Amino acid sequence: MPRFHELTVRDVKKTIRDAVVVTLEPANGESFDFIQGQYLTFRRDFDGTEVRRSYSICAGRGEGVLQVGIKKVDGGAFSTWANEDLQPGMVLEAMEPMGSFHTPLDATAQRSYLGFAGGSGITPVLSILKTVLATEPRSDFTLVYANRGVNSIMFREELEDLKNLYMGRLNIIHVLESDAMDIDLFQGRVDAEKCAALFEHWIDVETVDTAFICGPEPMMLGIAKALKDHGLSEEQIKFELFASAQPGRLARKATSAEAGTQAARTQATVTLDGTTRSFEMDKDLSVLDAALENAMDAPYACKAGVCSTCKCRVIEGEVEMIANHALEDYEVERGYVLSCQSYPLTDRVVVDYDQ
Amino acid sequence: MTDEMNIADYLAQGGRLTNPANVPPRYRAELMKLMSIFVDSELAGAAGFADVINDGPGIKERIAAARIVLEKTDHADKVLRLMGEFGANTDRYVGHHPWTDRLPRDTAPGSARSAHDMRLSVFNYPLEGWVDAVVMNLLMGHAVSVQLEDMARVTYQPLAEALREVLPVERRHTELAEEGLERLTAEGQGAAIADSLSYWRPRVAAVFGDPSEERMAQLQAWGLRHASAPEMRAEWEKRLDAALTRLGLTETA
Repeated sequence: MPRFHELTVRDVKKTIRDAVVVTLEPANGESFDFIQGQYLTFRRDFDGTEVRRSYSICAGRGEGVLQVGIKKVDGGAFSTWANEDLQPGMVLEAMEPMGSFHTPLDATAQRSYLGFAGGSGITPVLSILKTVLATEPRSDFTLVYANRGVNSIMFREELEDLKNLYMGRLNIIHVLESDAMDIDLFQGRVDAEKCAALFEHWIDVETVDTAFICGPEPMMLGIAKALKDHGLSEEQIKFELFASAQPGRLARKATSAEAGTQAARTQATVTLDGTTRSFEMDKDLSVLDAALENAMDAPYACKAGVCSTCKCRVIEGEVEMIANHALEDYEVERGYVLSCQSYPLTDRVVVDYDQ
Repeated sequence: MTDEMNIADYLAQGGRLTNPANVPPRYRAELMKLMSIFVDSELAGAAGFADVINDGPGIKERIAAARIVLEKTDHADKVLRLMGEFGANTDRYVGHHPWTDRLPRDTAPGSARSAHDMRLSVFNYPLEGWVDAVVMNLLMGHAVSVQLEDMARVTYQPLAEALREVLPVERRHTELAEEGLERLTAEGQGAAIADSLSYWRPRVAAVFGDPSEERMAQLQAWGLRHASAPEMRAEWEKRLDAALTRLGLTETA
């Protein structure tokens, strides 16, 4: 099961004006193996609010280094902090690498890969192309890289170096939105039309085995459409959506506590397996988490309000259940709640897991 | 580039969501539910089948049954891992339900779940011996294929990819059931097979459930469901009847 691990920041390097490459090292000498194209989910507390953000690994699998690229987003708490305040020696918390934006590699294979990256969408694509070119010596990779202008091209120099290293096997096409290019084809947005033009003159799409697309929504749609129009199947196209707005994952939504008082803490009494215990808990903590923190072996599984394993009955007081996808109305009427989704409203709450 | 786009529009135009960070909350809830039902059904199905391995008349049959148990458990693992990426506690998940629990054999078809897991209702009924297990596997196998073909088009790409790997293996389980029934028919087990068919047919038919019209429309808009329950049930009937015709089995309902 994914857990948070401590990672020490070894290096923070600017790649363009508003993006950094962060080099990380597992703090306890743990192994942190990743597959090319995967991402790390970080968590950090900002003024009492937990923010979780995912950033793609930009290192290749065999490089022996763990690196993520973080581009500053307007109003983004985590990315702004990472770009302005993050220093070597600091410790970050991240879950082990996740994501399925990759295909299995085979050293003996001779394949043609086509990658599309929009802006910071280059991070996982860079990881993939480095790993592919190093692992499959007979395969080639074509990258179509869309940016606003020359100044916003992340990893520009590194990509040039790679082109020299993998002469003839790595082909890079820059498409810039605003800066004038010598050839019209390389200017503008990468949409279905632009793809069709590229396929006509520059990219032999018929030989492509797998295509990777990483960028914002409209770009993904346009490219996917063009690829399908040119005969690629759903299975041959791998997506990683870099949504413009990652939904924030706050520990808990702010709610108006009409039914309760302003007190931040609750006196809780919990019965489990015939044993009753009382303790004081934060109103910002779910009933389940509070029970677990107090060394009670409360049952739970999904922690998402889906599975109903953590069901308990409220005997006294009131809680607010913020999500319920498991309990029937009649159960809720009888006072049953999902403890993973329930937060105390009253200053005293009594719940029973045995009923 | 314009980066702004409504996620509903994006999905409506064939877009894919690719990781927990770009999944909106309500979509996430429905997706988790979909995945829980799949995982719980695979685990409950595997657990039920594990009990009949030794009822297999020969070594080949036992190998087939053991393989089905192994592969269904593996399928649960594939999807449970995706749930883990959303924060589900996968270690506890498997251990906390009595997956072998069943209702009494004579419980009416379509009954609600007994325990608080998300398995499909059909997995609440007990298997009675080898012939019964093979018949149930054939009926449910075709139902699983129809449902998974729909689910494999899901807009959450990691789940779609996992299910595309699962589908051929589940299809093979159904083939094994058909091969098994062919042998049992040849051995003169026709009456027992007919009994089991009439027991399981209404119970498997009940797994094709439709949510309320409003919710179904939402699920379809998000690309989490496609075909309706009646459509899927009709497709299942068609495939099942074709299989029974191949086997020369005419059901005595």
